Amino acid sequence: MALDNINRVVLKMENIIKVFPGVVALDKVSIDLKKGEVLGILGENGAGKSTLIKILAGNYIKDSGSIYIDGQLFDIKGPSEAMAAGIRVIYQELNTLNNLTVAENIFIGEQIVKTPFKIIDWKAMQKKAIDLLNILNVKLDPSAIMGDLTVSEKQIVEIAKALSKEAKILVMDEPTAALSEEEIQSLFKIIKTLKSKGVSIIYISHRLKEIFEITDRVTVLRDGKKVGTLNTKEAEPNKLVEMMVGRDIKDMYPKRVIPIGENVLEVKNLKADGVNGVSFYLRKGEILGIFGLLGSGRTSLVNALFGANKIISGEILINNKKVKIKTPSSARDVRVGLVPLDRKVEGLALIMGVKENITLSNISDLGKSFLISKTIERNRAQKWVSELGIKTPSLEQEVNSLSGGNQQKVVLAKWLESGSQIIILNEPTRGIDVGAKIEIYKLMQDLCERGSSIIMISSELPEILSIADRIIVMSKGRFTGEYLRENASEEKLLHDACI
Amino acid sequence: MAESGSINDLKKKKEFKLNNTVVLFIVLIILFAVFSYVGKPFFFSKLNLIPMLNNLSFIGIVAAVLTMVMVSGEIDFSVGGNIGLTACLTAFLIDKGMPGWLVVILALFSGLVMGAFNGMIVTVIGVNSIIATIGTMFIWRGIGYTLTNGESILAINPVIDYIGRGFIFKVIPFPIILLVITFIITYLVMNHSKWGRKIYAIGSNPIASFLSGINVKKVKFINFLICGVTASLGGLILTSLTAVGMPQHGQGLELVIVSSIILGGTALGGGRGQILGTLAGVLILSILYNFLTIMNIYYFYIQIVQGAVLILVVSTYEIRQSLAKRRI
Repeated sequence: MALDNINRVVLKMENIIKVFPGVVALDKVSIDLKKGEVLGILGENGAGKSTLIKILAGNYIKDSGSIYIDGQLFDIKGPSEAMAAGIRVIYQELNTLNNLTVAENIFIGEQIVKTPFKIIDWKAMQKKAIDLLNILNVKLDPSAIMGDLTVSEKQIVEIAKALSKEAKILVMDEPTAALSEEEIQSLFKIIKTLKSKGVSIIYISHRLKEIFEITDRVTVLRDGKKVGTLNTKEAEPNKLVEMMVGRDIKDMYPKRVIPIGENVLEVKNLKADGVNGVSFYLRKGEILGIFGLLGSGRTSLVNALFGANKIISGEILINNKKVKIKTPSSARDVRVGLVPLDRKVEGLALIMGVKENITLSNISDLGKSFLISKTIERNRAQKWVSELGIKTPSLEQEVNSLSGGNQQKVVLAKWLESGSQIIILNEPTRGIDVGAKIEIYKLMQDLCERGSSIIMISSELPEILSIADRIIVMSKGRFTGEYLRENASEEKLLHDACI
Repeated sequence: MAESGSINDLKKKKEFKLNNTVVLFIVLIILFAVFSYVGKPFFFSKLNLIPMLNNLSFIGIVAAVLTMVMVSGEIDFSVGGNIGLTACLTAFLIDKGMPGWLVVILALFSGLVMGAFNGMIVTVIGVNSIIATIGTMFIWRGIGYTLTNGESILAINPVIDYIGRGFIFKVIPFPIILLVITFIITYLVMNHSKWGRKIYAIGSNPIASFLSGINVKKVKFINFLICGVTASLGGLILTSLTAVGMPQHGQGLELVIVSSIILGGTALGGGRGQILGTLAGVLILSILYNFLTIMNIYYFYIQIVQGAVLILVVSTYEIRQSLAKRRI
């Protein structure tokens, strides 16, 4: 009977169909989840992963199909019913209350109370929070303020919150998007602990490496259809990518040889908030990678170069001319552009259209008078949409509804439109799918071929090791290592990053 | 088959989707028709409509410009106080025998100073504009009381008279001309100009706008300047219409103006809003007030109706939005 218990199917979603205006998001998708297993769901953006999960969580209502929980037909009409069935979802964008403590966040909505007046029992809450965090094997102060925690710690609190009531099925939607390599490892430990306690986990990701590391089986979705389910052990990376993308991918990291020219940027002893005196150069046609863990000062450095972080001292030379970069507009004027870390917060006006976003940093160039020439605007936007292959139904489409990869291209187009020669990309492929990633790598090299130069921050080792021509490692606001691509390795970069 | 059918249905629905501004104008036309019929013969008469338009002219002028401020994600509650202070200043200077044209210039200049003050507090110091302009709202009105000792001052002067009660081509009231010009300019700015694009971008995402090289503070500051000058123009019109400057002028008007703008579909958080929506909002609230007044409805009840209409309309926006979201 024990064996039977292990293979017991706790969740079955059968022939789920969901249609949105203009698109079939899910077309007869079926999955099943066994007790104590980790099921990976793999697919590019727009494949239907999130829609499937939102149906399971009761956020969307399916058009047809059936859901069985423990063999019983279960009609999920809203989030509360999903919760009652023991389904917990940890979304990519964390919903934490940043002004409250860890314990308050864990027990939000179901605080432990003392009779007779139902006063909150702080002590009991504190204690139970510690118990929960112990189950997860993490040390976190339950009275710490949520806003002071790192992204990964917040995520742990979310997991603890999900476990505070009985959780049968835990869904994690791209949980590692904002985590460093180390943090991912501690997350995986937690997942293994939960698994051993009989929790079934649906793990959504488009990172192959993680799928192989943590899942037992993997279901691949593409364009709203299920391509297949494989046992992870028997799956091969290339096979999975092929299933996911729908074509044979020979090279995940296409790298071309591009001639490298003179120095275009020289930074001398730059000091700024989070940056303790760094000097480096960037050459024409070069992709310079900057590697570092969270808090190493990499973002502070590029923000300083872009005028978004105040420079305390130091010199910046562009094409051998000394420049002062005080604001993003002065950075733009010396042809420096930034594709920021969080494109939704820092890069895009989400409720505006594709064309408005592409021309955002170059509005003054949209016509001779004070009026915007709609023709010029359309032509410019159209040019970049076709050149970068931005997939959008129209130029007026709100960028909000585009996929991550296409949004990233819109941000990039914005800087190309304003003539940037030095383009800084902060985690350019964060949260975008394999196909779009490869396109971004190709685009970066296209730009270099045309004479631009690129600074790329990345915490994904395979990416930086394959795409950058030269890699600088940062730690605590300083440079701790510099390598040509040929001489760099994962071990060397990680070692220097932890100095 | 079934699937493709439903996709087409949804697409069709999208094509027929009316935007809020069009709906508002349809509502306006219906109200106008109903009021004209029910309020026969007074409502639809020159004797009623011309004064009504005069009265809404200064509200509309300020509302148009305040829409720009609100789309950029800020607000200016001091416009009512500004109107009061400008009225007092105008009457005070006329009373001292200053020539009319100079008084007009000084009155508008006072608006510039008030706008600059608001702009400074909000953009340089970084005070939330709700708080900053509620503060200055009291300050402007307080200065008005101080200037006039709390009394009303007659403001009789040919130039001032003309602003609120003059006619162009002997038929079109001058304030209406000002109103129309203001709406044409603000419409062009918001829908077709580079400046307007920056305003929408800032309201939609100030951080991304700043990181795209837009001088967010400058745009907001200049918006406050223009808003100050416009409110003073409103103050001049009101002074002229009443031939008197008194510190109570424009009291509570900031809420009427903001209500009209919100009724017109502008989002409080910025980024969304239409000048024509504001025009419709101003017209709807004004004809409603006018109609209820000529129907001899007690003023207290009118207030209840005005408040209810605001909530009703904004509720429909919210309902439409959440319906749209649920569908997706």
